[in-house]
Amino acid sequence: MTSYMKYVVKRVANYVVMIFIATSLTYLLAASFLNARSNYESRTPRPPQASIEQSLDAANLNDKTPLWERYTRWLGGVVQGDWGVSPTGRPVASELAGRIGNSVKLLAISAVLSVVIGVSLGVYTAQRQYMWQDRALSGMASFLLVVPTVVLAILIVFFAIDINNALPVKIFYVTGLSSYSGDNIFLAFLDFLQHITLPTLVLTIISAVGYHLNQRTYLLDEMHADYVRTARAKGLTKRQAIRKHALRASLIPTSVGVAFSIAGIFTGAVMTEKIFAVHGLGEYFINCINNNDVNGAVAVAAFSGVCTLAGALLADLFAVALDPRIRMS
Amino acid sequence: MVNDNDPTQGTPPTNADMELSADTMGEVKRISYAGLICRRFFRSRSALVGLAIFAALVLLALFGPLICRFDYAEPDFTAIGLPPGPEHWFGTDGGGFDLFACVVHGLGRSLIIGVSYSVLTTVIAALVGVGIAYARGWVERVGMWIIDMLMVIPSFLLVALFVRSASGQDGWLALIFGLTLFGWIGYARTLRTMTLSLRERDYVRAAKYMGVSPLAIIVRHLIPNLGSILIIDTVLGVIGGINSETAFSFLGLGIKLPDTSLGYLLSQASSVMITMPWMLVFPSVALIVLCVSMQLIGDGLRDAFDPYSRAAGSAEPAEIEEEAEL
Repeated sequence: MTSYMKYVVKRVANYVVMIFIATSLTYLLAASFLNARSNYESRTPRPPQASIEQSLDAANLNDKTPLWERYTRWLGGVVQGDWGVSPTGRPVASELAGRIGNSVKLLAISAVLSVVIGVSLGVYTAQRQYMWQDRALSGMASFLLVVPTVVLAILIVFFAIDINNALPVKIFYVTGLSSYSGDNIFLAFLDFLQHITLPTLVLTIISAVGYHLNQRTYLLDEMHADYVRTARAKGLTKRQAIRKHALRASLIPTSVGVAFSIAGIFTGAVMTEKIFAVHGLGEYFINCINNNDVNGAVAVAAFSGVCTLAGALLADLFAVALDPRIRMS
Repeated sequence: MVNDNDPTQGTPPTNADMELSADTMGEVKRISYAGLICRRFFRSRSALVGLAIFAALVLLALFGPLICRFDYAEPDFTAIGLPPGPEHWFGTDGGGFDLFACVVHGLGRSLIIGVSYSVLTTVIAALVGVGIAYARGWVERVGMWIIDMLMVIPSFLLVALFVRSASGQDGWLALIFGLTLFGWIGYARTLRTMTLSLRERDYVRAAKYMGVSPLAIIVRHLIPNLGSILIIDTVLGVIGGINSETAFSFLGLGIKLPDTSLGYLLSQASSVMITMPWMLVFPSVALIVLCVSMQLIGDGLRDAFDPYSRAAGSAEPAEIEEEAEL
């Protein structure tokens, strides 16, 4: 157990250094490419020069201040937990806090659904390799795998609006996460479901096809392994041999993959959030880039960096816990 | 195997004898490795379909502007928001731009961006990944650390920063540059892992002790032995490039006016898809067909390279027809 702890501590220390350097690099790049001055200069009427400079200085976005000076001032704030303000003066941290919830709602549901659906389909099709069920489902999955997310999402919106128009009542909402403002909990929940169905559908399809095809490959690999043949030779039926032996081994790489992607549910889904106007982190990220919001963009980048590495650490620990062939070293 | 028994001999000939006699009689035609892969590739019907579709799309992108009377950049003010018809084959958008011209131009952009992104990232990833694996020691450790660190930064942000600073007609070049600059990182990591076993091979050690320079070993001995993987991934990587172009242009961060691309067309279509559905349908179909054709080609290549796949065919002539369908 002590070696386990030592391993984790070493990993975490390495990751902290990594995130620090990566975030600093992101800040320096973002601060030199994004120019917030244009935000103020393009306003009508154009504010007086002195006021522009003052606002830029207040937000620490003035390109006349040397880059290094801006960086150290930004870093000083971050160390104290202050991620700076956007060009409009809103604190980045409060903006982030308000949006994480929306991203988690959207992504947690689709993460659970896609793992359950994807893995079950993978197991089902692997056992029926080259039969018509496998041909149809796996063919469908590899088709959906290459359809660009944008196209998939827009086409789903298109068909949903068609369905809405064909029916007397509006079933699907295609923007936002809620539009009901009454007190009835049941109606509020129904309203939430009407909003979240379509973006969840898009996200679930995108990640379920990946789980499906991977799980199918893993299980097929294991099904042809020698120990499964041994189990069959000892008298187990094919179904028993798969369930007791091959399936268990094939779930190891899948669960490592799931562990890696769990952390991603906090960072949002850029394209889906943008298309369905869900005010989550992914949408915020794009808005930051479009509005020259250096501090906001870097904060999102840092946050997603933390999530990525948390996922990597979780995946490692999962692999060690599940796979007896892997030892701590 | 050709049935070539000589009835005058007492004992049946061994396989080697039969092969030698067949060789001298000119009955066996030997083919190169590339020829073998080609033959296996063309045996697969789906791969052929993919190749045919892809070739058709390339021809459309090349010669489409010649057969179309309208230019993607010049609006026809007498035809605004028209549905598909004999004059404007794919209809026009709200500004009077001919959609066929725009889709053909966008298709060309997607093809150029997808292919150059994929080829460039594969070259960089192969050189870096194989290079640091071959170097071993501190170079490998530092290299891996830097790669891991770069993977922490969302490449979406970095690409967006680079592309935003370019404008108008040069946007697509900036997009290729930005996507390539940050697209090789994860792939280099994978290739390094694959090189780990390759670098222990005897021929690598032999070359090293014969005084071959490290660069020559990497380029002449290590990378060619990853060749099949690199070729397959280059083909499939095109899909990734097309996907990224669509995403960035859709968000207004990639290709913008006065240039046009499939992603840009989709972003225009998203606001008018109920009143002008053709604006959504044609770019979407073009993208889907393009991506699916690349995938069919990639899968065909994967089967052709895989010695255990069914593309290897079987010795029974009667079964070949059936095998080809799988």
